[in-house]
Amino acid sequence: MSYPAELLRRLRMAFRRSQLNRDLEEEMRLHLDLRQQQQIDSGLAPAAARHAAHIKFGNTARIKEKSLMAWGSEAIESFISDAVYGARALLRSPALTLVALLSLALGIGANTAIFSLLNAVLLRSLPVKDPGQLVLLGTGNGGGIGDTFVDTEIYSYPFFRELRQKNAVFSDVAAVFSMSSDVHGMLLDSSGQTNGEDEIIHAQLVSGSYFQMLGVQPAMGRALVDADDASEGDHPVAVVSQSFWKRRLNRDPNAVNRKVKLASTVFTIVGVAPPEFFGTKVGESPDIWVPMSMVRSLHPTWDAYRQNYTQSLDLIGRLKPGVSLTEATTNVNLLLQQITQSFPDANLSQKNLATLHKSHVLLTPMANGLSSIRGEFSEPLQILMAVVALVLLIACANIANLLLARSTARARELAVRQALGARRDRIIRQLLTESLILSLAGGILGIGFAILASRFLLHVVSGGFETIPLDISPDLRLLGFTFAVTVATAILFGTVPAFRATRLQLTENLKAGRGRANAGTRNMFGKALIISQVALSLVLMVGAGLFLRSLANLNKVDPGFNRENVLRLNIDTEPTGFKHEDPALNPLYQQIEQRVAALPGVKADSFSAFTFAEGSWGEGILVAGMPNDEDIAVRQNVVGDGYFDTMQIPLIAGRTFGSQDTSTSQHVAVISEHVAKTLFPAGSNPIGMHFGLGSHKPEDDYLVIGIVKDAKMESLNEKPKNINYLSYRQRTWGFGDFEVRYTGDFNAISATVQQAIKSIDRNVRIVHVTTLDEQVARTMTSNRLVAQLSAFFGLLAVFLSCIGIYGLMSYVVSRRTNEIGIRMALGAERSNVRNLVLREIAILVTIGIAIGIPAALAGDRLVSKMLYGLTGTDPLSLAAATLILLTVALLAGYIPARRASRVDPMVALRYE
Amino acid sequence: MSRDEIPPGTLYLLILKTLALRGRLHGFEIADSIQRNSDDILQVEEGSLYPALQRMLIKDWVAAEWGTTAGNRRARYYTLTADGRKQLAIELSQFERVIGAVTRVIQTT
Repeated sequence: MSYPAELLRRLRMAFRRSQLNRDLEEEMRLHLDLRQQQQIDSGLAPAAARHAAHIKFGNTARIKEKSLMAWGSEAIESFISDAVYGARALLRSPALTLVALLSLALGIGANTAIFSLLNAVLLRSLPVKDPGQLVLLGTGNGGGIGDTFVDTEIYSYPFFRELRQKNAVFSDVAAVFSMSSDVHGMLLDSSGQTNGEDEIIHAQLVSGSYFQMLGVQPAMGRALVDADDASEGDHPVAVVSQSFWKRRLNRDPNAVNRKVKLASTVFTIVGVAPPEFFGTKVGESPDIWVPMSMVRSLHPTWDAYRQNYTQSLDLIGRLKPGVSLTEATTNVNLLLQQITQSFPDANLSQKNLATLHKSHVLLTPMANGLSSIRGEFSEPLQILMAVVALVLLIACANIANLLLARSTARARELAVRQALGARRDRIIRQLLTESLILSLAGGILGIGFAILASRFLLHVVSGGFETIPLDISPDLRLLGFTFAVTVATAILFGTVPAFRATRLQLTENLKAGRGRANAGTRNMFGKALIISQVALSLVLMVGAGLFLRSLANLNKVDPGFNRENVLRLNIDTEPTGFKHEDPALNPLYQQIEQRVAALPGVKADSFSAFTFAEGSWGEGILVAGMPNDEDIAVRQNVVGDGYFDTMQIPLIAGRTFGSQDTSTSQHVAVISEHVAKTLFPAGSNPIGMHFGLGSHKPEDDYLVIGIVKDAKMESLNEKPKNINYLSYRQRTWGFGDFEVRYTGDFNAISATVQQAIKSIDRNVRIVHVTTLDEQVARTMTSNRLVAQLSAFFGLLAVFLSCIGIYGLMSYVVSRRTNEIGIRMALGAERSNVRNLVLREIAILVTIGIAIGIPAALAGDRLVSKMLYGLTGTDPLSLAAATLILLTVALLAGYIPARRASRVDPMVALRYE
Repeated sequence: MSRDEIPPGTLYLLILKTLALRGRLHGFEIADSIQRNSDDILQVEEGSLYPALQRMLIKDWVAAEWGTTAGNRRARYYTLTADGRKQLAIELSQFERVIGAVTRVIQTT
């Protein structure tokens, strides 16, 4: 029989089932009647004959079921009828269904939300051709621009060209500028006029081979090609992203050949990228891709296209088919040695050659793309994933307990059905269908919940001025994950109750109606569930406690400056027409500093190159008479005179910058305590001593005039670092940061400060207005995220466990009403009865805690990297969690316990 | 009188053979016929006849039509199809092979 015909027949049968059923019944009735007649003929009484006929025939219900099953439609049909029956059964106990649905929706939703972020950050493949063939040269931890002899993370453009030509292992190589270039830009209309304000555009410089190597086909127009990259400065062409095309070009079907002005260069749009393509860095999505040949249009001072030893590029290669990572590594490292030495301007000093020989490039598969946010968030997300998985487990235990209690209440119904001949596996299947309906409904609610939650999470994670452009929309992997979780939960919470419910002493149940035969073992299972819930809750509570205390510890860290009451903003001087680092800007800076300082409510103000967590400029300092190692990085900060007052970094000795330090006077520096201690001769007073900044040339000679306390620059948990402060009058810097120490209301001060700046030069653009405190807090985003969410889920876990305890104890009390009645009739006090129940809860919770403590300790060791100022075993968190759990559990148990003590002995004895 | 369960797997064979011998029968007649022809030794759990008949209908070994009994009641009569006859031959040879093997084993001295 052919398969389609078979299918057709089965479908037809599914519809003809009632006919089939009637036929079978008639056939069987005839059989029984004839047999009975035969027995009567042989001398039996009619009733006895009927009985004999039935015995000979067997179980009619089961035979009918078996016969229908032959037609195969039974599976579908019984599923549908089970589903309908199950839904009806669930609606009969709405409170239970609601509690179960809510816990499931929360559990599944939380899992889906966290997973959607995890998926976007860690798991998604790049939307390019065969992402598995892509490898990155380096580990992906480099970035920026450097000018050393050799670098194994970022590379120069000429190096890229040589490597692309000479390698034997890649089918193609592409270069990506390691930073996003945020420039002012504007769209021009057909007549070359601007339409509206300019805006910040995220541009990405790439080699001409970029799109071709990735195999990305443009949605419109053409991609960038090698020719766009062939010679410097004369290929002002660009590909825009799909979202830029939608947002800024209003989906213009004639977008190709439109012009966009980036900084001062007009680019022609040659193509639009496909919708799914966001570049090669997860968490960054450029508006526009520009060939590397145009680097000077975006960064006028960076000669990154020509210089053999100016490294600024991430290199990505596509492995030729059949080439292993090891072969590629060997080839790339061979070429690193050759190419680095081969440039005509190579400085082949002993030291450089030694460094080169030690250099080794690691190749990193980059199917998932590069990411700067991955390092920061992969561990927090994994921890949160584990947390929400545990919460879901607790929710499952809860529902299992509820179902168990309910199936016991339904014992009689099930017994009757079994006695009537329903097969056990049929009943189990029906109960499992109920669980599945419950969890599917929970899963659907959960997805809705997850979509909201993941947007919120992304917002929290981003923390900055713009939401990180991450694609967290559901994909197949995410939906698959959710579906798998949903089915797994159904099996997890549904199986045991279903099996237990059908393993009955039939006669016991039919006889007693409320048989107590199995109550003991059934309670055992319920109790085991409660114990594991308590243990899991404890683990979560302890974890939450640790994360919260770490966050508090981080917050208590003294950064070396005063976080409070400082307004900070960035000013952009580009629209004033001056070049970025023009010394002619200095008078403008000074004017702003003076005007703002005179405002009421302002105590001090200053420009600076950096404040906190904004990167740094490192340069070695050379002190006479010290074994100066230029590799010891000293962070340089270029500041205004008011910087130390504004930040309230205390002066230890000497003086800070003043008006006597001018561009023509002796160059002076203020050093941090750590520099004074480690880079100057022991026991000497550095004040009055000189050092060379990066070199011994006269123009790099600096006199130390002051020592200030150490301050943190990158993160709160860093060790004291070397910091050297310079005055902007002596070392020109294109500023961004402006800080104001104020008293009073932030919004009022912010408005007057911005007004004052605009009154000096209305072309200055003011962006990123916030407080220093906020900026510091942003560095703790991942800690805060983990702490707050784990606290939330910890409380949720405790809450769910309490529902579980309440449910189980209520059930136990109602089952034992009879026994309690006897006890009370025999003279037990009400308080005795209450304590009896409470003692049982206390025992369960204590066992749970006893199991939970070692588990929590083991778990803490896994997360030690996320902790600050704590060792893995924190007695306080442990004690607090234990206390909270015990208290809340006893509260949850108190209501059923009191109910037990109110039992009227007479009613109880008549109860059954 | 001791009554033995029919050997597993032989129910099809018994039904096919009965129908081959007697032509057109309804369920009760098939059961009755098997029992009688085995001198009451083979005892079909009569109910199990019906799922087997349904399966045989699906496999097209038998055909069914409704008719009336001598007692003027509606009954479903089964007849053997061409496929059924072929199947009977297959089942028979299988059965003989098995029985022959079993006999040889137990008669080995």
